[in-house]
This record gives sequence, structure tokens and C-alpha cells, in this order.
Amino acid sequence: MREMTLSELSRLDAAAGEADEVFQMDEDAFRLFYERTARPVWAYLARMTGDARQADDLLQEAYYRLLRAKTTYETETHRRNYLFRIATNLVRDMRRRPHVDAVPLSDDWEHADPRQSDAAGHAARRVDLSRAMARLKPRERELLWLAYAQGSSHQEIAATLSLKTSSIKALLFRARQRLATMLRERES
Amino acid sequence: MSRQTNGFAPCPHEQAIADLVVNGGLDACDDALRTHAAECRACAETLELARLLHDDQKALCAEAPVPSAGSVWWRATIRARAEAARTAGQPITLLQGIAAATAVGLFVALVGAWWRSVVPDGIGFERFDDLLSRSAAVSPALALSLLLVLAACLVVAPIAVFLATADFES
Repeated sequence: MREMTLSELSRLDAAAGEADEVFQMDEDAFRLFYERTARPVWAYLARMTGDARQADDLLQEAYYRLLRAKTTYETETHRRNYLFRIATNLVRDMRRRPHVDAVPLSDDWEHADPRQSDAAGHAARRVDLSRAMARLKPRERELLWLAYAQGSSHQEIAATLSLKTSSIKALLFRARQRLATMLRERES
Repeated sequence: MSRQTNGFAPCPHEQAIADLVVNGGLDACDDALRTHAAECRACAETLELARLLHDDQKALCAEAPVPSAGSVWWRATIRARAEAARTAGQPITLLQGIAAATAVGLFVALVGAWWRSVVPDGIGFERFDDLLSRSAAVSPALALSLLLVLAACLVVAPIAVFLATADFES
């Protein structure tokens, strides 16, 4: 594909002010929404992919798709759930593509000061969790994160993951048991 | 697929326990729910994992290297404009292709018509001079029709370009 010239870029930059017509929210509304949601979405993407760099890329893509979506949102919660749905689909698409060099999330516990036993213990628990999560099936990871880290209701999880609300409870129960078993195995 | 469980069933209070962990209201919740969470295996497991996952999320959020909102907005607008320009270019390219094909077809048709008027059925010409003398004798009706076609092209082409590039939304 042809690279854009500087003059084309400057023309595009000048036209950027007209973006409100293209996007389904204005810049101020976007800033507010982004400040509230960017970090939880990045955390979700990072835990689902296990790769910080991919989380960075997918974050930008998720917000772009949200801005371009022709959906109308009744509430901010609805918009946030839609953003998580986009993020979930992006992660699923990414899994279908061939792998590139991953930048794994850092294992902070290895660098933790042993004198600070609380911090080291906390970091070690996070590493255990990270490794156990990586061994779960993608859908189990998504379910557990949305339910327990994000605090989404069963209805919201069903909408985000394109599942039936009635099946969430059982799926979540099984996923939770698998994670608990893995964590116990690591401890023992 | 193995569906091994730890020997206990889901509890109807699991969701409430998870909500309390996420919303930070576990300490302030009523004693009955806290007592239940301590006695129910499903709820105890939910409580333990919800705390672990929620703490992990808080830590990840704290260390998340997210770009600024302005930067994300700017990149999105640039990309949207580039995509809009590409999309707008598609009909122009298509139109140019159609125009080129039409021009070639018209040229071939005109050459054919001219050839038939110059060279009657089955009769060839032996010299170039002969050909030129015959071409001078093209009928006025054919010349008029050629002029009309050319005039139509001159009128239609700008209209077609205008329709392809006009922004009807604004």
C-alpha cells in the first residue's frame, strides 16, 4: 500500500476537526468516556491476550470501531458493554491470525524485594493467577474476568460474549472451578 | 469433555458476593451474607477468586500504559479521513474505467462506421490515395451523428464527474 505524503497528512489533520460528523460522539464526550474506560479495557485485553503490545494495538482499534459504530446507546453502561464486546471480538480475531512475537506481561514478583514479603506474596499470587488464566479456555477467561474483575451482570456478560443469559451461571461455575483447581495445584 | 466439579453446586448468592467484592462493599454488607459466605463453599470460592481477579485488575489498571484520549482521538480522525478518501476514490476509479472502456468502444465503432462508408461491401482499395479520396466523400448524415456523439460526451462527462465527487450529505 502507498505511504501517505506529508501534504496529504496535513490536509487530513486539517480536516480532523470535521470528525464529529463521522463519529457517533463528539471529542469532549469521547475524552470523558475514554478516561473512565481505557484502563479497564486495556487490563481486559492484556489478560485475554497475555501480551502487552497486542493489548496496546487492540485498545486503539477497539475505540476506533466504537467511534465508527452506527449503534445508538441508551446509557453509558450500554456503551461500555458494547466496547467490551468489540474488545472481545478483536481478541477472538487476533487468535485466528498467525502469532507474532509476543511481549508477555511482566512477572513483577521476580524483581520484588524479598524483605517486602507482602508485596512479593501479592506479586507471586498475580503470577500464579496469570499462568492459570493462560491455561484456561478463552471463553472461560472472558467469563471469569467480566464477572469477577469487571463486575458485569450475567445479562451484560451474555451480551458481551454473544451467549444466552441462562447459560452464564453454569458456564461461570465450571470456569471458576477449573481456575480454583489450577490455583490449588500450583499452591501444592 | 471433563466436567469435574469440586462436589458442590452453584449458590444463588454467588453473584451478590462477587458484586460486593467489585464494588468494595463486603465489609459493610449485612452479617447474614458474611456468615453465609464463610459457610458456603461455592460462595467462599467465589469470594476468594473474585478478590484475586479484582486485585489483579486494579494492579493492571494502575500499570496500564494507555495513550492519552487526545492521541487516540487524533489517530482515529486521521484514519477515518483516510478511509473516507479511499472510499470516495473508489467510484471515481470505477468511473474512469467505464469512461476509458466507453472511449475505446466508441473509437472502434467510429472506425468501423468510417471503414464501411469508405470501403463498400466486398470491395477493397489498392492505393492509399484512393482511400483518402473516398474518405472525403463521407455522407453528411454520418458526420452529423459523429458530431452529436462527441457533443453528448462533452456534456455527460462533467456531470458524471460531479455526481461521483459531490458530497450530498453536507
